[in-house]
Amino acid sequence: MYKVLLIDDEQLSRELLKNYLAAYPQLSVVAECADGFAGFKAIQEHHPDLIFLDIQMPRLNGFEMLELVDEPPAVIFTTAFDEYAIKAFEANAIDYLLKPFVKDRFNKAVDKWLQQATNHTIAAPTIKMEEVVAPDTYQHRIVVKYNNTIRIIPEADIQYLEANDDYVKIVTADGSFLKKCTLSFLEQTLDPQVFARVHRSYMIPVTQLQRIEPYEKDSHIALLHCGAKVMVSKNGLSKLKNMLGW
Amino acid sequence: MAAFIALAALTTLYTLHFLLLTNARMLTYCAVADTLVIGINMWCIALAIKAYPTTVSVLLYALAVGTVFTGIASFLFYRCIKLSLPDFAGAFITAKPIWILLFGMHMIICNWMAIQFALFKKNELLEKKLARQVDIDNSLRDAELFKLRQQLQPHFLYNSLNSIAALIAIQPERAQDMIGKLSDFLRSSVKRESEELLQIKEELQYIKTYLAIETIRFGDRLNVQFAGGTDINATIPSFILQPVLENAIKFGLYGTTEQVSIRFSLSLDNNMLTITVSNPYDPSIQGGKGTGFGLEGTRRRLYLLYGRTDLMETIKDQQQFTTILKIPQHV
Repeated sequence: MYKVLLIDDEQLSRELLKNYLAAYPQLSVVAECADGFAGFKAIQEHHPDLIFLDIQMPRLNGFEMLELVDEPPAVIFTTAFDEYAIKAFEANAIDYLLKPFVKDRFNKAVDKWLQQATNHTIAAPTIKMEEVVAPDTYQHRIVVKYNNTIRIIPEADIQYLEANDDYVKIVTADGSFLKKCTLSFLEQTLDPQVFARVHRSYMIPVTQLQRIEPYEKDSHIALLHCGAKVMVSKNGLSKLKNMLGW
Repeated sequence: MAAFIALAALTTLYTLHFLLLTNARMLTYCAVADTLVIGINMWCIALAIKAYPTTVSVLLYALAVGTVFTGIASFLFYRCIKLSLPDFAGAFITAKPIWILLFGMHMIICNWMAIQFALFKKNELLEKKLARQVDIDNSLRDAELFKLRQQLQPHFLYNSLNSIAALIAIQPERAQDMIGKLSDFLRSSVKRESEELLQIKEELQYIKTYLAIETIRFGDRLNVQFAGGTDINATIPSFILQPVLENAIKFGLYGTTEQVSIRFSLSLDNNMLTITVSNPYDPSIQGGKGTGFGLEGTRRRLYLLYGRTDLMETIKDQQQFTTILKIPQHV
């Protein structure tokens, strides 16, 4: 018996999933959630084997929710938006069901997962390349777990980001937060018009930049409005020059 | 007009300068020869300007052509005199003031003609360029509007179809109801493609159909209140209101799992239709900026239609997000 979780803000969408799932007695729906927060809690509580996940949801979207889960279960995305397919692909999704989807298409996705779950093999993803559209959907906020609650940090509140082993330290006026991810991941998901990776270990919002001073040969130091000093590499400097049009 | 006066003045001057020649036979002969020479020159100047190379400044080119033809005209004129009145040529060439005056007149006439031709040609080129620019602008504008319209629809449609699929399985009668509403909505969507300006009543009816579909999708969570507007006689461009409402739903309804009230009010004052849409919103949830596509598209569209940037205003406070639209009437 596998545990399945449905996360979708529309009740009718969940009803449809349950209806399709009725053909699979070995899958039992342990919970239904209407947003990312509830989804996150339900994953921690039930440890499901498979989740059906909508992307555009209130409060916390599907991707943000997945970022918070330490060991994410298998995911089948269900959404009307095709522009997220490439991101879903990167998130190692089992499949990406575009709403509205028919029962056959749904069965294909579930069968693929069942095969994988029973044989412990990794099947090739069914996401077709033509469905993969370049995403121009950058995040304008970062979600972190903080004292067992979820905190959403808008990009405007961020002073700088610092790589810290397996974590990234997010520094804001209210203190700093740790998020389990790499700086490169945030470099890809945050808006490159706003943030600049100025060093192997640092990323700053360009609006935070107050001035740049030479430090050693080939390296500089950036003074931020918040008072912090951040290392800037040779590469980082040319990136900043590009962004600011010096 | 100025060109005509200048031409008349030049012609008069041109005629008068021959009066300086005292000998009657020579005067007649010179006038005929000079007119002929100048006439042929004009024609050549026109041809030269027509083949105008576009890399040089138009005035410079005209002056160069004019000066060259002044030389040619004067030389030709002198040759004519020498050939047909050999005994006269010596006297003519020694009459310096006449010679200088003649040369000066040739200079003025040739250069003036050259500049006129050049300006005419430049004007023609500019007009062609302008016409093309207008064409480009129009097609860009059309393409942009088309794209903006397209972007408004698909997700709503896909999600609605998905709801219908669910309703067929659990409540077939409601599925029929939903299909009816969706068809109404699509029908008026298609119809309005051709109309730029809509009666506000029609637009409200359209919005209500749209909301009815959203109500089926989201059930009791959506509550919309309308204030005023039912008896207002005003027009609104198509695809202005819907994106604002979509935005209100997106941030209000999609932003929470609780019940949501969207307030909608209309008023007409001084030929200005004012529409206010407000929805609850949680600033701690929304990531900084990002008003989303909907509102940027509306702002852009209002700008394209009225050439003004002050027709849309958004106000954010701790609980409410308000969008105020102003639609000028009779413009």
